[in-house]
Amino acid sequence: MLQIPDVKLAAMLPILIVLAGAIASTVLGFNLPRRALTIINLVMLVLSGVSMITLWDTGTTAFGGGLQADNAAILLGLTILVGSIMTLLVSLDTAYRARVSFPEFDAMLMYAITGTLLIAFSGDLIVMLIGLEIMSLSGYVLATLQASRRAEESGLKYFLLGAVGSAILIYGIAFVYGATGSLNYADIAAKASGLTPANVGILVGGALLMLAGFAFKVALAPFHQWTPDVYGGAPTSVSLFLSTVVKVAAFAGMLRVFGGALADAPGWASVLQILTAATLIIGNTAALLQRNFKRMLAYSAVAHTGFLAMCLLGTPQAGGAALGYYLLVYTLMTAAALAVVAALQRDEMGMEIDDLRGLYYRHPAYAVALSVCLASLAGLPPFAGFFGKYLAFQAAFQNGYVWISVLAALTSVAALIYYLRPAMLMFMPDRTPAREYPNGQRTPTNFAVVLGVLGVTVLGILPNIWYGWVQNPAIWLFLAGR
Amino acid sequence: MIHFMIFLPLLGSLLLLITPVRWREEVAGFFAAATLGLGIGIWRAGGADLFSINWVPSLGITYSVALDGVSLTLALVTAFMTLIAILYASRRVANPGTMLALILAMETGLIGIFAARDLILFYVFFEDALLPALLMLAIYGKSHRMRALVKFGAYTLFGSLLMLVSIIGIKSLGGSPTFALVDLAANTVTGPAQTWLYLGFLAAMAVKLPLWPLHAWLPDFHEQNHDSGIPDLMGTLYKVGGYGIFRFGIELFPDASEQLRPILMGLAAFTALYAAWIAFRQTNWKRLLAYAGLSHMGFVALGVFSLNETAVIGAMYLLAFQNVYTGALFLAVGMLQERIGSLDTRVGGVMNQAGALGGLTMALWFASIAVPGFAGFVGEFSILLGAYQVQPWITFVAGLTTIAAAVYALSAFQTTFWQGRPLGGIKVADLHGTEWLVLGLPLAVALFFGVYSAPAINLIQPAVKTVLAALGAN
Repeated sequence: MLQIPDVKLAAMLPILIVLAGAIASTVLGFNLPRRALTIINLVMLVLSGVSMITLWDTGTTAFGGGLQADNAAILLGLTILVGSIMTLLVSLDTAYRARVSFPEFDAMLMYAITGTLLIAFSGDLIVMLIGLEIMSLSGYVLATLQASRRAEESGLKYFLLGAVGSAILIYGIAFVYGATGSLNYADIAAKASGLTPANVGILVGGALLMLAGFAFKVALAPFHQWTPDVYGGAPTSVSLFLSTVVKVAAFAGMLRVFGGALADAPGWASVLQILTAATLIIGNTAALLQRNFKRMLAYSAVAHTGFLAMCLLGTPQAGGAALGYYLLVYTLMTAAALAVVAALQRDEMGMEIDDLRGLYYRHPAYAVALSVCLASLAGLPPFAGFFGKYLAFQAAFQNGYVWISVLAALTSVAALIYYLRPAMLMFMPDRTPAREYPNGQRTPTNFAVVLGVLGVTVLGILPNIWYGWVQNPAIWLFLAGR
Repeated sequence: MIHFMIFLPLLGSLLLLITPVRWREEVAGFFAAATLGLGIGIWRAGGADLFSINWVPSLGITYSVALDGVSLTLALVTAFMTLIAILYASRRVANPGTMLALILAMETGLIGIFAARDLILFYVFFEDALLPALLMLAIYGKSHRMRALVKFGAYTLFGSLLMLVSIIGIKSLGGSPTFALVDLAANTVTGPAQTWLYLGFLAAMAVKLPLWPLHAWLPDFHEQNHDSGIPDLMGTLYKVGGYGIFRFGIELFPDASEQLRPILMGLAAFTALYAAWIAFRQTNWKRLLAYAGLSHMGFVALGVFSLNETAVIGAMYLLAFQNVYTGALFLAVGMLQERIGSLDTRVGGVMNQAGALGGLTMALWFASIAVPGFAGFVGEFSILLGAYQVQPWITFVAGLTTIAAAVYALSAFQTTFWQGRPLGGIKVADLHGTEWLVLGLPLAVALFFGVYSAPAINLIQPAVKTVLAALGAN
């Protein structure tokens, strides 16, 4: 008897809509100008968001649990969409200047978003891996698309190191399959507790290999070395995408795997805390030494990886909620900061920190917006970055990782200095001629900046607007599926 | 009414951005005066009781505010000095819109700090008061401000982040349902964990106080700020460390406070004496005042750490009125700088031409070095009296500071205002217009509360008694 596979289109709809956008960009690119495609894609992303919201609380699954549209997936998916929308808005203005204004750019972007959503919606390791690979491959292309030596170098670096990361990850998946005999998160979680000692060893090995693989993707030290070169060398709109959307997706994958499937597996947490500590120290001190603003933001993204990873050290309930809140805030503030860079930079190298001197007197709105982003990245109230940091500290502290919270507090001091310096330089009076690109201020970019700044301000004063959704522990208790 | 008092200045600050340039001074003045008026209204009504609603219910963060006793006194002084700062800034600073907005924004942060009865809310206001201070330094500072900025930012944030970890620890280890002070005090952490948490909390407060060895940011901060002294005035109001230890430290960490008492009192006494000694060597008025303020804060810390009722009352009294006369002194230094173009203490002969400026400055210095009849005396004397009952020797060492204070204050005053006028010195104008008010009003306040301390003591005493009663219960 022929078995009809368990295909439910409803659960896949948000991903399919984005995929449709990607295919449309590929096909229609011959006939339509790129701006039209970007606008179509923006509409697609919004539609995808709407379809996600209709799936709220339904807990729909497809492919026998291989794809699950549970609330966790929807919250992470919405965060991904926010970052993607901001990327598209910025690329509307800057793609032409960055010499990446052709339909392939949009197509690749949309394929990458499809991959990221697949990770967030994944219910087993294979779906997660497929999503991860789609995302990574599109990411390699995006980083290389600009015809410049720097972009090629960064793309090649990204590709080589990313491929190593993927290989390690796949090897880890094989180990986990070997230990538990399953690739499904829920099955792995169920079997992880009752294994024979020999199998436990294999499981631990698999978990650690997967941890290393993910560490490449999210840029946890010591696997972070590609980040500054890639984020710094890629066109700014691509850096924006890689440092927000891709990272959110990779963390969504980590949350699924380590918070769900391997939540009870031994070993990985103690390694993760060492990686987190190293990331906090290296990311923050390295950012302190940067002279280029875009590179500094790249290192700051590494430092934030440390904070985000602290959430994973919490219990799935507390940590998931913290991560869910932090990821959105991180996306908003990083994307808005890079959007300002994209608007003001003279070339894709970004700008030197010293070039920001006196920005307040030349572009007051951008200066205020950028300083709000920097204050939020630094974790100063009343901006949302503060609550993000607070939740990360709390998640780690309550699960017994006191020393790492103290370490995070101490390394944050370095963070505050490197965020403070550009923020304050902007307000210092300056009489030298402007060093910004003269026609950078365009409506879509401004819209993205306003979205980010309003977001971090409102979420900072009334965190419950978003935290009220993510805080329900039941969402994160069943990360592996029920 | 209390919420108006907290947020009215911020509202004014935002309104200033859209006010036409022509009306900015008036609008700022109106908001500052209205805030002070509201404060007096609250005082006449006998203080504002605890108001508490959930802010982030899922995290147990509440919006709890109250203004009574110590907090009301400090809030009133803040509102008063903000008005003075606005009066002076409108005249002194060219194109003062941004400065006025920052002063008002800072006022909200400061009053919020004093009103907050929830640890997270306290933290939020604590950091919020920092942002305008940083911006004032960035926009109006002098050539080496970046160094001062980084130092200031690094020190304060180093402390406050450790405090944040402590705050999380207090709730999570004590098992309190919310961060409201009432709940936390009912579920205190005990044992060695309390000491560790207290140290984390203390890190933030010691930086703000500031307490040796965490004071290094202070002189640079003042030296690099705008000449007028307005940011300094707001900066002295910024010393919320003593208040934080009093309000949260003693109640939440009673055992640790008693355990660490001798060490902390020793540090405080050393800070007072050491700062007075360094002040003596300064030739820049701003640095001199910075170290003088540091020395006063050592006294405040001595009083608070001694946990003795008289001393704590004295500390809160000093904390409140030190702001008045030290703030006014910073403004007086600004006026001096405006006239002679330098902050050096060895100018000489200013008194010949600017008698009123010299006279008022001297009177303010008398208040500062605790001459009887001024508010400073009431505070310092009570602190010494109370602390002596706890740690006589440490108090003796701290008491030497009063002599040192007289030395540094009077010698600097002498070299600037008396002595010979240098040849070719420019003609120095005397006080005119609002400057009389700017220096006169604070002096009147310092004098009034030096002679008639009852209104302030009546406010402070019951609050201190309540806090210290919590200590005895354990």
